[in-house]
Amino acid sequence: MRAEVAADLGERDATHIRTVVRDARVSAAAGRGLLMFGFDPISFVLGVAALAHAKILENMEVGHNVLHGQYDWMGDPALNSQNYEWDIVCHSSHWRRTHNFEHHSHTNILGLDDDYGYGLLRMTASQKWTWRTPLQPLWYAILAIYFQWGVAIQDLKLGRWFKGRMPKGELAQRAAPFLNKARSQLFKDYVLFPLLAFWNIPRVLLGNALANLIRSLWTNAIIFCGHFTADAQVFTKAEVQGETRGGWYLRQIQGSSNLEGGRWFHKMTGHLSHQIEHHLFPDIPALRYPEMAPRVREICARHGVHYNSAGFWSQYLSVLWRIVKYAFPVDRRARLSAPQTA
Amino acid sequence: MDLALQTPRKRKLSQLLRSPWLRPLNDPDAWEQILGALNPMWSTRDFPARVLAIVEQTADSRTFVLQPGRRWPGHRAGQHVVVEVEIDGRRLHRSFSLSAAPRADRTLEITVKRQPGARVSGWLHDSLRVGDMLRLSAPGGGFLTPDGDDPVLLLSAGSGITPVMAMLEEMHRRGNRSAAWCSCMPVARRRISSLRAPAAARPRLAELQLQVHHSAQAGRFDAGALARWLPHYRDFQARTCGPRALVAEVEQLYRDAGVPQRIRSESYLGRVLPPSAANDLAHRVHCSKTEQVFTASARSSLLGEAEAAGLRPAHGCRIGICKTCQCSKRSGTVENLRTGEISSEPDELIQLCISVARSPLELVL
Repeated sequence: MRAEVAADLGERDATHIRTVVRDARVSAAAGRGLLMFGFDPISFVLGVAALAHAKILENMEVGHNVLHGQYDWMGDPALNSQNYEWDIVCHSSHWRRTHNFEHHSHTNILGLDDDYGYGLLRMTASQKWTWRTPLQPLWYAILAIYFQWGVAIQDLKLGRWFKGRMPKGELAQRAAPFLNKARSQLFKDYVLFPLLAFWNIPRVLLGNALANLIRSLWTNAIIFCGHFTADAQVFTKAEVQGETRGGWYLRQIQGSSNLEGGRWFHKMTGHLSHQIEHHLFPDIPALRYPEMAPRVREICARHGVHYNSAGFWSQYLSVLWRIVKYAFPVDRRARLSAPQTA
Repeated sequence: MDLALQTPRKRKLSQLLRSPWLRPLNDPDAWEQILGALNPMWSTRDFPARVLAIVEQTADSRTFVLQPGRRWPGHRAGQHVVVEVEIDGRRLHRSFSLSAAPRADRTLEITVKRQPGARVSGWLHDSLRVGDMLRLSAPGGGFLTPDGDDPVLLLSAGSGITPVMAMLEEMHRRGNRSAAWCSCMPVARRRISSLRAPAAARPRLAELQLQVHHSAQAGRFDAGALARWLPHYRDFQARTCGPRALVAEVEQLYRDAGVPQRIRSESYLGRVLPPSAANDLAHRVHCSKTEQVFTASARSSLLGEAEAAGLRPAHGCRIGICKTCQCSKRSGTVENLRTGEISSEPDELIQLCISVARSPLELVL
C-alpha cells in the first residue's frame, strides 16, 4: 500500500503543502496586522483567531509533517526535514530525536517512549504511583497550557539530571539549541511585534500570548487523543523483545487512535486525526491518510484487530477520564496480568 | 548579491537585515513566495528564465532559447548553468553548458540531447513549451575561451559540442584569430554556415579549419587522428570537451608534447546503468564531505558498512522510520530494502540504514 501511494506522489501533494504554507503565512500576516493596527475588540478577537490558526497550521500540517520528511521527495530545500525550523520553542533537531526516533519507533513502550505521559503523568496501571500522582489533573492542566515548553525541554532529560545521572556539561550542551530557539521565539512574540505596534504594545502582547495559549491547548488535546484514549494499549520492553516487522505495525495500530471530523478539522490537526495511518506510514504526506484509512480499517477488520476511531469529544473525554482514574493508586500487580487497556 | 563584493557599510546593513532576530519579517522563503506571486520573473535567490523559442537541432537534440530576468549577472562562453525543473512536484537539477556566447539582447541558449530513459532531458523535450519558466543558477565553470592571440583548437565529441559552440561564436564576434574546430557531430557544419552567412561582410574567423569526424565510418576519434589532421596542434590553445576517455587521451598528447598549460578540458561520464543481476558485488563508496572511501557489499546496509569501516554517520532508529541517517547521494544506484525502490538519478536523498549499494556511489557524508 505504501509503495502504491509513494509512486503516486506528485504535483497534487506539492501544491497542497505549498498552499498550506501560503495560507499559514497569509493568516499570520492578517492576524498580526489586525492586532497591531486595530483598536476595537472585534479586530482583537479576529486577530488572535487568525494568528492562532496560522500557528496551528504551521506547527501541525507544515512543521510536524515536513520534519517527518514527508516532502523530502520534492527536493525543495525550504520543505526539507533536515533544514526546516518551525514556529514553536521546540528546536527541530530535538524534535527529530524525541519524536521521529524515540516516539515513532518505540511507540507506547514504557520506559522507551518518553511521550508516554511525558515523565509527568501516570496513564496506565503499570506506571509507578508516587506522592505527586494524585495531583496529576493539575499537572496536566499546566502541561496543556505550556505544552510547547513541555515539548521543548523533553530532550533535555531533566529527570536524569535531577537524579544526578547526567553531568552538568552534557545538560548545557543539550540545552544550547533550546535556549537559542526559546530566546528568538520569545523575542519575536513579546518584543519585536509589540514594539512594532507602538501605541498598541499591550494589545499585541496579550494577543500573541492568547494565540500561543490557544495553539498549546489545541495541539495538546490532539496529541493526547493520539495515544491516551481509553482503548490505546501500552507495551513493556519485555513484550517487544524480538518483535517482528509485522509486530511493529500491529503495535503502531494498537497504540494509536484516530479522530473523526471534516476536512478542515483534519487539516487543523495536521492529519494527526489519522494517528493510526501516520504511525504506520510516518513519511507519507499527511493528506493521503484519509485516502488510506478505509483500506487500513478493512485490513484490521479482516484480522480482528481493533481500529480505534471516534469523534474528538468522546476520545478527549476518555483521555481526561484516564488522567483522573490513574491519579488513584490502582494496584500495579493485579493490573499487569490483565490486558493493558484502561 | 555576493556579500564579499559589498562595501563594509552595505555589508553591515545586509547582515542586520538577515539577522535571525527579525524572523519572520525577513524570512527569505516567504519573500521569495511573495515575489514569485507578483511576477514569476522576480527572485532574490536564483534566476528565473522564460523559454522564448525551441529550435530542433537534430532528431534527438533541441536548443532552448531563454530570456533571464534583469538580475542575470552575464556569462562567458564555455560556462554552464544548473537548471532546476519541477516534474510532478519534484525539483530536479541538471547542469547544462550555455551553447551561445553572451548576446546584446541578453538571451541564453542551452542545447539538450535526449538521453534514453533520463527524466530531465526527456521532460525538457516532451513537456517544456515556449512561454514556460525554468529556474537557473548563476553561470559557473572555468572552461573559457583562451585570451591572447594564439590559434585555437576546439575539439568536441558528442554533447561536448555545446560549450564549444558558444566559444566559437564568441571568437567569431571578436574576429581576430584563427581557429580549428574538430567535431564528431555533423551538426557542426550547419553551425559554421550559420556563422559564416553574415561574415560575408565581415571576414572573421577566416582561417577556420573544420574537420567533422564520422565515427561510424572512420572509427573512434582518438589522439592519433588529431595529430594526423593537425600536425601543428602544439601551437594551438586547445579546448576539449567530450567523454572522459577521449579528453584524457588528448591531455596526454599535450603533456607528451611538453605544453600541458595549453589545454583546458571538460568531460562527462556516461549515465550510470541500472543494477545488474549480480547483486552480491561489493562497491566503492566515496564520501565527499569527509573525503573517505569505504567498500559496501550488497548484503548489508550502507549505514552498517560505513560503521564497519570506522565512519560514524548520524543515525536513529535503524529501521527506516526516523530519517536521521538520511543523506544526499551524488551519483550511483542504491536499493531501498524497505520499499524496494531503486534510486539511480543523481542528487536523490537516501536513508543509509535501509539502503544497499548497487553500484559505486558518491555520498554527501
